[in-house]
Amino acid sequence: MSIRDQVAIAGIGCTEFSKNSGVSTLTLGTRAIVAACQDAGLSPSELDGVATFRVGDSVLPAILSQALGIKNLRFFIDQFGGGSVSHSIIGQAALAIHAGVASHVVCYRALNARSEFRMGGIGRPLVDAVETQYQAPFGYFTPPQQFAMAARAHMEKYGTTEAQLGQVAVTQRANAVLNERAMMREPITLDDYFAARWVVEPFRLFDCCLETDAAVAILVTSAERARDLRKTPVLISGAAWGSGQTLYSNEQPDTTRSSAAETSRRLFEMAGVEASDIDVAQLYDCFTYSVLVQLEDYGFCKKGEGGAFVESGATALRGSIPVNTHGGFLSEGYVHGLNHVYESVSQLRHDAGKRQVDGAQTALSTAQPGYVSGNTSALVLRRDA
Amino acid sequence: MSDPSTHDLPFPSFAPYPDRDSEPYWAALAEGSFQLQRCDECSALRWPPRALCNRCHSFESHWEDVARTGRIVSWTRTHQVFAPDCRDKVPYLVVQVALEEQNDILLIGGWLAERTPGVNERVRMKLVEAADGLRLPCWQPEDGV
Repeated sequence: MSIRDQVAIAGIGCTEFSKNSGVSTLTLGTRAIVAACQDAGLSPSELDGVATFRVGDSVLPAILSQALGIKNLRFFIDQFGGGSVSHSIIGQAALAIHAGVASHVVCYRALNARSEFRMGGIGRPLVDAVETQYQAPFGYFTPPQQFAMAARAHMEKYGTTEAQLGQVAVTQRANAVLNERAMMREPITLDDYFAARWVVEPFRLFDCCLETDAAVAILVTSAERARDLRKTPVLISGAAWGSGQTLYSNEQPDTTRSSAAETSRRLFEMAGVEASDIDVAQLYDCFTYSVLVQLEDYGFCKKGEGGAFVESGATALRGSIPVNTHGGFLSEGYVHGLNHVYESVSQLRHDAGKRQVDGAQTALSTAQPGYVSGNTSALVLRRDA
Repeated sequence: MSDPSTHDLPFPSFAPYPDRDSEPYWAALAEGSFQLQRCDECSALRWPPRALCNRCHSFESHWEDVARTGRIVSWTRTHQVFAPDCRDKVPYLVVQVALEEQNDILLIGGWLAERTPGVNERVRMKLVEAADGLRLPCWQPEDGV
């Protein structure tokens, strides 16, 4: 039995996006969650589920739940993982609500990614990630290196150019100019893109997302309950997660194809939509390349044509499929996936101000497309009729 | 973290911290051999090292020498100093290589030539000494230039 449109997002909340929040991840989390409750018109004491994902960089959800004064927690997720699992916690919350296990689940991510915990630190690797030992001895241990490796393969196989990577950054920055939350609001040109320093070839500075201190909270409840709350419900039409092989295990040797090529099919089938039905897409943009590969693997353009598709203007705010309308992780800030869900909900409520996509009814929001971990997750969201 | 004896490596190198599955792999390298597990049941090479074959689900395997040849899948050149010990090594090049003997096995490795590698270029492995008796599988052009 499908859960299509049975569960909804009723509230969203976020903190300021900054380089130094000056507060703990516990405080960031409570701020975003209280904001989401206020947005929905619900008391935090009515929450009975909390869900997050972490990589040893944020407060335990049990402590956060206690801080919120939740007396009878009925559901929780403390998922190990990074951006690839960001949307799966919302899908799992939807399953729990549909099954009657919990009524109001808040899904959140709180991190001081700039001021406290920076990805790519080195030392004894986590026992969870056994493959680090085959890479760190060569000075290869950070996400920009891992994505740059895939990007280069894509450039060689399909003729994707540096200018096409740059156009992703330029297009998203134009959206961030219209977004008061965004950390980077100065317009940039392709000349600016090429003038910036190298990080890891083929990535320059503007190919890489921002390290950010922030929290985002997404409040999930039944569609029926959401209709009694303050805001227009945003229905969860489809949710998918999984896939399998990591980049360094055998049986998946083509690094130009992401896990989304597999999960997108069942995601769209569950939601009863096709790529052409999506009005606005927030595609995980830890790096410019991940946008290109997802445009292909979610079927917005043919395989190998992601670069040309962006160059055509199709993904711009007034293009045929506006992508990362808030500026994305490249320009708004990086909340490890959940600010894509926040923006999707804003768009479907028709609350996105100057960057509103006219009449948006259906949105796609995606997680890291499966490089490194092999897993991805994504949601199709729909404005309640 | 860096050791004086590793300073001639063309890339910064961090200790691998072998686990119980990978100890034979690193031990063979230290002896100058490049060995992988081969499944006793379906004959597929296993990578990374582990007990269970993900194709046929056999727990039986043996370690054997594998051809030290492959093709470049991709490469990166790192300019950013991601950790203090990387400062003296940037920019440095890292390659991803598909093994000739089973081309769905992709290895990350150091690059030992001055020039930039070409994607699909045939390459040969060279074991390079690092700290603590380790030997690291690095790659160079097939003709050595």
